[in-house]
Amino acid sequence: MSLAMSSPTPPDDTRKTDDAVLPVTAPVLQLVGVRKIFGDLAAVDGINVDIKEGEFVTIVGPSGSGKTTLLRMLAGMESPSEGYITLRGELINDMPADKRPTCLVFQSLALFPHKTVGENIEFPLKVRKMPAAERKARALELMRLVRLPEHYYSKNVMRCSGGEKQRVALARAFAYDPDVLFFDEPLSALDYKLKKALEKELKDLHRESGKTFVYITHSLEEAMVMSDRVGVMSRGRLVQIGTPEEIYTKPATRFVAEFFGELNSFDVRRDSQGGWILDDGRPIVVAPTGEAIGDTVTVIVRPEIMRFVTGPSTADNLITGKIYNEYSLGSRMQYQVHAGDKVYLVEAARAAAPGLSSGDNVTIGWDARDAIVVGG
Amino acid sequence: METHSQVRARAFVKVWTAFVLLAIYLPIICGALAGLSKGRYFGFPIRSFSTEWWDRTLASLEIQSLVQNSLLIAFIVTLISVVFAFFGALAFARYDWRGRKLFQKAILLPVFFPQPVLGLALLLWFNALGINPSWQTAVVAHLVWIVPVVTLVIAIQVYSFDPTLEEAARDLGASRWFILREVTLPILWPGIWSGALFAFLLSWGNFPLSLYTAGVDSTIPKWLYSKMVAGYSPMVPALGTMSTLSAIVVLLAGGLVITLVRRRRADA
Repeated sequence: MSLAMSSPTPPDDTRKTDDAVLPVTAPVLQLVGVRKIFGDLAAVDGINVDIKEGEFVTIVGPSGSGKTTLLRMLAGMESPSEGYITLRGELINDMPADKRPTCLVFQSLALFPHKTVGENIEFPLKVRKMPAAERKARALELMRLVRLPEHYYSKNVMRCSGGEKQRVALARAFAYDPDVLFFDEPLSALDYKLKKALEKELKDLHRESGKTFVYITHSLEEAMVMSDRVGVMSRGRLVQIGTPEEIYTKPATRFVAEFFGELNSFDVRRDSQGGWILDDGRPIVVAPTGEAIGDTVTVIVRPEIMRFVTGPSTADNLITGKIYNEYSLGSRMQYQVHAGDKVYLVEAARAAAPGLSSGDNVTIGWDARDAIVVGG
Repeated sequence: METHSQVRARAFVKVWTAFVLLAIYLPIICGALAGLSKGRYFGFPIRSFSTEWWDRTLASLEIQSLVQNSLLIAFIVTLISVVFAFFGALAFARYDWRGRKLFQKAILLPVFFPQPVLGLALLLWFNALGINPSWQTAVVAHLVWIVPVVTLVIAIQVYSFDPTLEEAARDLGASRWFILREVTLPILWPGIWSGALFAFLLSWGNFPLSLYTAGVDSTIPKWLYSKMVAGYSPMVPALGTMSTLSAIVVLLAGGLVITLVRRRRADA
């Protein structure tokens, strides 16, 4: 009796209760004012972002935007010059890669060329001194997960095709059993069709595993397909982060809008009467915004918003011009319309294509509410 | 259809190749034949052949000790130079550090230095330090010249090594030692193996450095030279031939190991 009384409550139990109080939506990764400076260049220049448990976040940016440096800091291959990176509330700024419960799938995949598929997948298990039989069982399980045939177990990894290598790299990362998986555009070297298929598989794998994925790529198209949230990076800064839908429909800047490919843009200024005018003085209808007189903004009209105005229909803004060229984009048609010294793009579904061809005089236009207005 | 000029070019290539091979191998073959001559003195054409001088060479206790010296020096030089050169090659080709450029140039210098001068300079140093020249000092002298060569041989392999493999291994939780054992060494081993073969053969056949720095201990090349200068017998070409043949065997065996391992890996 007295013995039982004297034994204190194990401290572990208390901690467990504390953990349970934490909301499930707490960020698994948190970045606060993260900067990385090389010489006098800030490769990453103040990033703040919270990544939630089980989220698929993609960071998109052109080469040199700092996205790879950011990922390398998250994975522990670089330390931030300033700011904080926390993983489940623990500061991990200077925690080396081998101590972090995270794993990076490299652009080059970094498969060990002298090892078989099985040996590659088992690598992190061998590090943990797992017995060989257990390792093999786990490797085969992971190969099923990434849809690699069982007889590949003893195949030389360099004899695998590009797509198969991706699967090996993925299985190897899963074998490490990380809390967060990082991807440094591993699909960039593959052909289009295979890439599309693997993007969808990766998304499935994300859902099935419930792990947090952070993916970086220069292709917004790739980001859109897979991600819960997309962040757009430019010159070391996160310009915008949001759902693919938000990024597409409400780009924060012209840079973000341009990331989706070709577009029509108009630099406009608010005149003294409160209307909007183009640089050549012509008026233009812009949906209400909070800009003051004298402010300049950019009006973006995506090619699929721009339409041919024929017959009784009309639009807020009209431009007359001549079709210069037409391109087939598969399910869609794109027309290049010359008006004065400017070139506009109009896209229409093939089924709804107006049967126009080069040389035809046309009127194109759009409604103010369909255009996107971004700051100068 | 081959044109006339193509036929002529092909014929020329054949003749030229035969000429080059003849120029390289004829003297070696003549040397080998000289060891099979029955006569005491060197002269062509050889009138009668015998294996007498080969037998005497193989039976000679003096030559046994030469072979032992040469083997001992070559083995020790190989071991030490491969370890030094492996880390040297990583510094040469893998890591970017302050002074790397200078290191890359400095390491080349001994290779371009005439070996007799290098040998003499080392001997002067050994004297100044009060060290008696022996086979051990010859090992040091060989290392001065061979480590840079082996460093370059291994560095070539290191240049083709993808450093992200080490990063990936680290990311998967591996320690430095585990990475070295499981990733770096297995990938670089063909270069290391080639470097070891180079080290062995360069030490085995080295004459100028041994001449100056081996002191009273003799090696095969040193003995060959001294006997040619004074006291020639067909044992000289016989031992020369044996030395060359053993070098060829080492080289072929080394190549075979590389081929076998490569094939085993490729078959998986």
